[in-house]
Formats: sequence, structure tokens, C-alpha cells
Amino acid sequence: MSALDKNAHYATITKIRTQYGKRLSRADYEELLSKKSVVEATEYLKGSTMYSKALANIDASTVHRGYLEMILRRNLFDRYLEFCKFQQLDRQPFYRFRIVEYEIKSLLHGIMCMNAGSMQSFISSMPAYLVTYASFPVLDLGKATSFAEILSVIRGTPYYQVLKDIPVRQDGLADYSKCELQLRTYYMRWLLNLATKEFKGTARKALTQQIEMQTDLINIINAYRMKCDFHATADELNEAMLPFSGRLPKSKLQELYAAANTEEFLRVLGDTIYGKQISELDKCTDSVHFEHELTKLRCNLARRSLVLAEDVSVSLYSMMYLLEIEVTNIITIIEGIRYQKDVSYIENLLVIQ
Amino acid sequence: MSSIEKMELVNIVGLIRYLDDTLIHCIRSGVFHIEQSSQIAEESGAAGFVNLHEQNPYKDLLKQIISMDLNGYKLHEADTASVAGMTDQEMKAYIEDMHMRFSAFSAQIAQYTDYISGRTQALKQLEHLQGMNVDLQKLFQCSHIAIRFGKLPSDSYLKLSYYQEKTFLFLPYDDDGEYRWGFYFAPKDSIAETDEIMRSLFFERIWMPDFVTGTPEQATSDLQADLEIAQSELYEAHKAQQELLERESEKINAVFCKVKFLYEKFKLRSYASIYRDKFYLVGFIPSKETERFKKLFADIPDVSIVCKPPETATNIETPVKLKNNFFTRPFSMFVEMYGLPRYNGFNPTGLVAITYTILFGIMFGDLGHGLVVSLFGFLFYKKTKNQLGAILARIGLSSAFFGLIFGSVFGFEHALDPLYHAIGLAHKPIEVMENINLILFSAIGIGVVLILISIVINTVLNLRKKDYTEALFGNNGLFGLIFFGAILFMLVGTMFLDINLIKPWYILLFLVLPIVVMFFREPLGCMMQHKKYHAESVGDFIASNFFEVFEFLLSYATNTLSFVRIGGFVFSHAGMMSVVMMLSETASAGASPVIIVLGNLFVIGMEGVLAAIQVLRLEFYEIFSRFYTESDGKAFTPVSINYDPVVE
Repeated sequence: MSALDKNAHYATITKIRTQYGKRLSRADYEELLSKKSVVEATEYLKGSTMYSKALANIDASTVHRGYLEMILRRNLFDRYLEFCKFQQLDRQPFYRFRIVEYEIKSLLHGIMCMNAGSMQSFISSMPAYLVTYASFPVLDLGKATSFAEILSVIRGTPYYQVLKDIPVRQDGLADYSKCELQLRTYYMRWLLNLATKEFKGTARKALTQQIEMQTDLINIINAYRMKCDFHATADELNEAMLPFSGRLPKSKLQELYAAANTEEFLRVLGDTIYGKQISELDKCTDSVHFEHELTKLRCNLARRSLVLAEDVSVSLYSMMYLLEIEVTNIITIIEGIRYQKDVSYIENLLVIQ
Repeated sequence: MSSIEKMELVNIVGLIRYLDDTLIHCIRSGVFHIEQSSQIAEESGAAGFVNLHEQNPYKDLLKQIISMDLNGYKLHEADTASVAGMTDQEMKAYIEDMHMRFSAFSAQIAQYTDYISGRTQALKQLEHLQGMNVDLQKLFQCSHIAIRFGKLPSDSYLKLSYYQEKTFLFLPYDDDGEYRWGFYFAPKDSIAETDEIMRSLFFERIWMPDFVTGTPEQATSDLQADLEIAQSELYEAHKAQQELLERESEKINAVFCKVKFLYEKFKLRSYASIYRDKFYLVGFIPSKETERFKKLFADIPDVSIVCKPPETATNIETPVKLKNNFFTRPFSMFVEMYGLPRYNGFNPTGLVAITYTILFGIMFGDLGHGLVVSLFGFLFYKKTKNQLGAILARIGLSSAFFGLIFGSVFGFEHALDPLYHAIGLAHKPIEVMENINLILFSAIGIGVVLILISIVINTVLNLRKKDYTEALFGNNGLFGLIFFGAILFMLVGTMFLDINLIKPWYILLFLVLPIVVMFFREPLGCMMQHKKYHAESVGDFIASNFFEVFEFLLSYATNTLSFVRIGGFVFSHAGMMSVVMMLSETASAGASPVIIVLGNLFVIGMEGVLAAIQVLRLEFYEIFSRFYTESDGKAFTPVSINYDPVVE
């Protein structure tokens, strides 16, 4: 990228930062948490937040909760496209990161629904906005009745190469966990590869820092969950986790996997760069709370990167992560209201920047 | 110039059967501030007095009048001569009749409004079905096919191709971007499965009302005809309601005023104490109204009015009515905002009036701006009787005066030069931007003078109350005055008069000694009053008094420097106008006058408000804090009837 190009992208950085300034504030979250019904929460989002345009044509009193979630996610995707198209960033492969992520999520969801024999639920929850942008016919996934049929849908895409060697069971179904591991590994390596190849200097450093942290957190969170719920051994964890680490030394990762129980896991984690940033790590005894704390770390890094970024790649990557968290928070609140959970219960699940 | 109205404590005794008449006279006098008479009875040790606790018989009737739907007509104070002869029963019967008739109209109007709303909604739905040339009723009556109308999210519409092998068909008729409006139909034996699929795609079903018949075009036309009829009937109902209102509004209002009067008068009965067949009322009236007040009760037999000095009732706080002259009266609004003085206190309205006028004039000095503000204030007061208008009228003239001193008229700095030459001056008295030091030092000088005046007032007031701690030994007393004066004299002497007062004897006598006296003010005050002084401990005494004295010394400096803002605003006013002039010079010939006018208006609005607020801040914080500490006086509120349409 020439100096001129780099300067030209400042417009997109400004646009991204403007959007960041319009994110939900603490007061917005408190207002949403005080709502007594999904209708009230929808009205609030429609009337008082930056989601008003996305919800303009919605009748809050009749809209289905599931559809509301879909609209929020679609809005997230639309904003990503808007940022990418603003100064034609989408010409560069790195900026397809969201689309690739959604493709992988859809593919995994399709495999899971196929295994469960409920392709109809795949179709109803599949993001329709992906149909135009995906590199394979997403709707055709819904017609697959076996893993082989899924592979034929994704033939010609990189995902085919990733999944073609996954062992298939006698009933034609595939091991979902192995599929997930392979696709996740592919995605993180793809991201890291592009970040290293396409960018230089501070942009490369900031991007790789975030991607590496993401990699580490995936491993740590999943390992902790498996320790908590299944008392998984080091060997089992090594098979199930991403086969590379980010900023954590491999030895430290192995030490975590080898922990005898969750207490020891937390003790070892406490010595790492991540554990040192979490106060009261020893109180994160359940996996939900644990994941929540680690997600906060990730958010902090994304926020710092966005504020200090001088490169549009870092701005965009950080911003999309933060927006994703915001949408997840809103959905959590809506579900909490729907199922009449206590405000304090819902609030504990939120990651508020 | 400003003082507090002298009051008399009034005791009224009479026969119970004349209580209402007595209360009416008290209300009509306009000068009687009523108090709970039981407090006086307790004080005098009299036994056997009981308060009147009665249910107000006019409350329900008043509520009924206020709750009537009068289509926006506001009940207000008016003459009740037309209903003077109506008895309570007659008024009740009249109001009930009016209430019934207005309620009937309201119900009719609500019914038509709902009807119109329902049909309008149905029309909106039918809009999306135009072009579908099928009888809707026949559609719904099909025996083998089930039909569902509604809207499908556009995202879900994309997914329908997945279900192309299913036995249903969705036909869209309209697209509003987010949704495709249309209907789907399926065989009745598979409609449940189809409904399930469509529900999973977030299809929102819309139920057609029974009154929608025929094809969408026919239904639209029928509904539009229905709507026209309903709207015309709604109009007739509104018209009839309005005609009734026009005929009866004056009488209803008169009845309201009469009932409100009776209601409020009845409420006052609870202030009376009863002993056998006599009532006892107590209150305050201004001393100058005593004779007139007594004469009002001449026509009521066996009523005795006794007036005494207010000090005789120690249980009751004497209410305060500020006495001001024509110039100072509007400024009592600021004093009331801060808090009224106590009855034996000091009315600072005069001081506020003079200082506020002068300070505002200096900070907003422009002949043109001042005259505009004054004129605006005058007209505003004339129209609304709002005291703020009267204040603006006065301070505007002060601004105009200082505008003559600074030589500024709507930002034109040389427009008054001919005037100055005519009176023998070479140029304007003060050129603001060339006399920065003069203006700043003058501002501080004004501050010093005002602080000194405030300290003197505080000293005098506290000497009157025999509070020697505050009067002599406090930071706003004699020794505070000595300290402050000495510091000033030393600074002025050293900087301007070449008098060196930084000498040990001066410092010891006039600076250190007052500080020490202030430090020991409480024990010294107790000594003067021959009382014993109690302190928690020596350490506590030293610690608390050290910080208090430190705060005193700091406040002398900060309060004095606070007045620099007067100079600051002089400069900012001049600076802003010079910007306006500069902008007008750079603009074209046509735009220049517009810029000047708009710029002046902007500066008048913005600077005017800022200057007014800053002067008020100086008044409240720098001046009042030095002497006006007892500002919790009770307001004098003579009994009167409040004709607002509320029931308390």
C-alpha cells in the first residue's frame, strides 16, 4: 500500500471511529435491562440507539424474537460491508475475514443440523444475507443428507480441502468436533497468514497480536470447559485444541492441559500474561464466568487497538469484534427478558466496554 | 429604601355561626396571613380548645366540575354574579346534568374515533392486496385450500426456494423493503405443516376483519365510503359538543369559581379552634392595615379583633413581607430565590438592586444593547407582569449608561465620537481594549468595596443581635475587617503609593493579631457574654480552627479575585462585537447589514444571559455569604382563593 493509499483509508478509519462513538453506552444497557418485555426493549432499540434505522420497518409489538436477533446480526454484517466498500477495501483478501467466518459458521451449523436430522432449523436460522456473498451455495447445504453431499456443495472452495479427509461414520455422518477443529484451525491460520503477508510494521503487529490472543483464548476457554465438564486429560485436550498457540508459549499451554483439576488450571493460568490481567481469577470457578472474564480481556485489547490504530485493517478488525460483542449483549438481554431472568443475572452475562 | 414590613399579631374571636362570614372577610381583605390557632392556645395554657376537623362538602362537586371533558376549555377566575343566587343543591344538579351531557358526547366521539381507526388499519392492509382480483370472502370459504395473509421478511423470502418441493405457494403482492406482503395457500390437510414452516421463517400473519368483504378493490371502496360517513358523523358530534360548550361555558366557569371559593373557604375552617360556642382565629397583618382590617368586621356582631406585637407569640414565626420601593421591588425576586430574611433580619434587596444594576451595566456596556434589553424588558413586563421584565428594563438602562462610557453602540466604537466632541472630550472616556489594566484593577477594586460593605453589614447586624463572636471576632466581623483592610492597604501602598508597610509592627498588629483573634473567636465570644466555653479537646480545637482560619484567609483572596470576571466580561463583550464587525467587513455589501444585525442579536442573547448569571453568582456567593446567613424566613402569604382547576 502506498503512502497515498494509506492516507486515503483514513476516511474509513474516521467512519469506523464515528460508528464506535455511537455504540451503546452504560446508560443504554441499564435502560434495556429495566425493560419488562421484548416489545419495550425493541421499542427502545428502535427509538434511542443506532439500531433505529435497521429496525425502522419493524412493528415491535408483532416481531418475532428470533427474527429480531436476525435483524441485529444482519445489521452487523451490513455495517461490515459498508466499511469494506467505502474505499474498496474488499479488493484485498484480508477484508473478507467476516465473510469467511460466517461461511465457516454456516458450514458447521449445516453439519450439526445434518447430524441431528433437522435441516429445516438450519434453513430457518441460516443468515440469508450470506447467500449473495458466500463462495458456495449455502442454501444447498440445507438439502444435504450426508457428509458426502455437504462436501459436494463446498467442492471448489478451500473448505473442501480442509474437510475432505475427515473420517465418515457408517451412517454417512461426520464427526462434528473434528470438523470444527479443522475449520477453526484453517481460519486462524488463514487470518494470521494474511495479516503477516499483507501488512507491515505497526499494522501487522497490532493485527497479529489480536489474532494470537484470539487463538490463545479459544484454546484456554475450550480447555477449561473440558476440564470443568469432562475432566479431560492432557492428551484429550491436545487432540481437541488448536494445534498452535498465539502469544502463550507452547510449554505453558501444555502445562495448562496437564493441570489435574480446574483449581490447578487457574493457578497455572494466573502466571500467564492473561491470568495476570484478571483480578480474582480464583473465583472464576464456573466456565461461564471464566469465559466472561477472558472475553473482557479480548474486548479491552480490541478497544485499545481501535483507539490507537493508524491502519484501517486494525480499526476494522477491532471494530467488528466490539460490534459483535454488543450485538451478543443485546441478544442476551432480550433472551433474559423473554425468559424473565433477574436483572442481576442478565447483567453478569454481559461484557460491557 | 428596603426594609421588612412591620406586622401585627391578630386574634379574632367570635360566635361559631359567624365563622364563615369572618373567613370571607379575611379572604377579601387580602392582607390576612392565617396561622394554626391551636399553637397559640397551647402557648397560653388554655384548655378545652379543639380544632375543627370536618369533611369538605364541596370537594366531590369540585372534582366533578374539574373532571368534565370541556374539549380544551380552561376553567379560570371569573365573576360569579350570574350564579350568586344558586344554592348548593341547584349547583350540584346543574353540574351533574352538564357532566352527563359532556360525557355522552365524549363517548360518542370515542366510538367514532375507534371505528375510523379500525377501518383505516384495514385499508392499509388492503393497500398491499390491490391487483388481486379475488373475492376475499370466497377465498376464506374454500373447502380444500387454506389461505393465510401476512408479511414475510425479505430475508426469509430468499429461503423459499428450499421448499419448492412442498405443497404450498407464497404469492407476494407488495414489497416494503423489509417485508414481502402477500399470502400463501396450501391444501387443508398440509396447512399445519405449512404454517410451521412459515412460522420458522418468521411469517407474521394478519387477520382480515369481518367487515372486509368482496375483492380488495371493492373492500377498499366500501371502507372508504364507510370512513366518509363516520368522519362526517364524528364532525357533527364535535360540532354539537362545541355548541353546548359555547352556550354553557360561562355558567359552568361561574359555578366552578363559586364552588372553588366555597371549597377554599371551608378549608380555612381547619385553622380555627373552638371553645364551647366560640371560634378563635389567629394570624398576621401588616401594621399599616390594622385600621382598615378592623373596619371590615363592623357588620359581624360579637366579633372581637385584637392586635398585638408579633413577639407576643413565641411559638409562631412571624411571616416576612419585604418592603421595597419602585426601583428595588423587582429585585426581590433574587432575594426570594436565595431565601427570605427573618422578621427581625435585614432586607438585602436594596443592596442587590444597586450592585446588580451597576455590575451588569459594566459587564454589558453598550448603549444600543442596553436600550434593546431595556425595551424588551419593559414590553415583557407589560405583557406578562413577570418581574424579570422589570429587572431587564432597569439593568438595560445601566448598560446603556456604561455604553456611553465605553463609547460603544451596537459594536460601533466610534459612533458616539461627535457626542464626545460636542461636550468637549477629545475621545471616548474609556477605550476598552487600550485600558486593560485599568479595567481589571477597577474590577478588583469594585470587589474589594463590595466585600468591605458586606463585612460592615454583617458586623452591624450581629452587634444588634448581640452575637459578639460573629460581630467582632469572626472573619466577617470587626477583626476580619481589620485584617482584610490591612492587607489591602499594604498591597495598594506597596504597589501604587510607594508606602512600604511591610514592617514587623504593622504585620504583627494588623495581620497576625486579627488572625489570632479569629482563631480564638469562639472562646472570646463566650467570654464577652460571660459564658463558659466547651471544647471537645485541645487537639480538636486546634485542628478545626486552623483549617477554618485557613479557609477564611483563602476566601478573602478568592472572593476578591472572583470580581475580575467583571473585567473579563467587559473584554469579551468588546471582543465579540469586534468579531461581528470583522465578519461584516469581509462580507458583501448586501450581507454586511444582515451579519451586523444577527451578530448583535446573538451577542445580546448570549452575553446578556451570561453576564446576568455571573452577576447573580457574585451576589449570592461573594456578597450574600458574608452577611446573609439567616435566609430561612417564612413568606407572608395572605389567604386568598386559588382558582386553578385542581383539588388539593
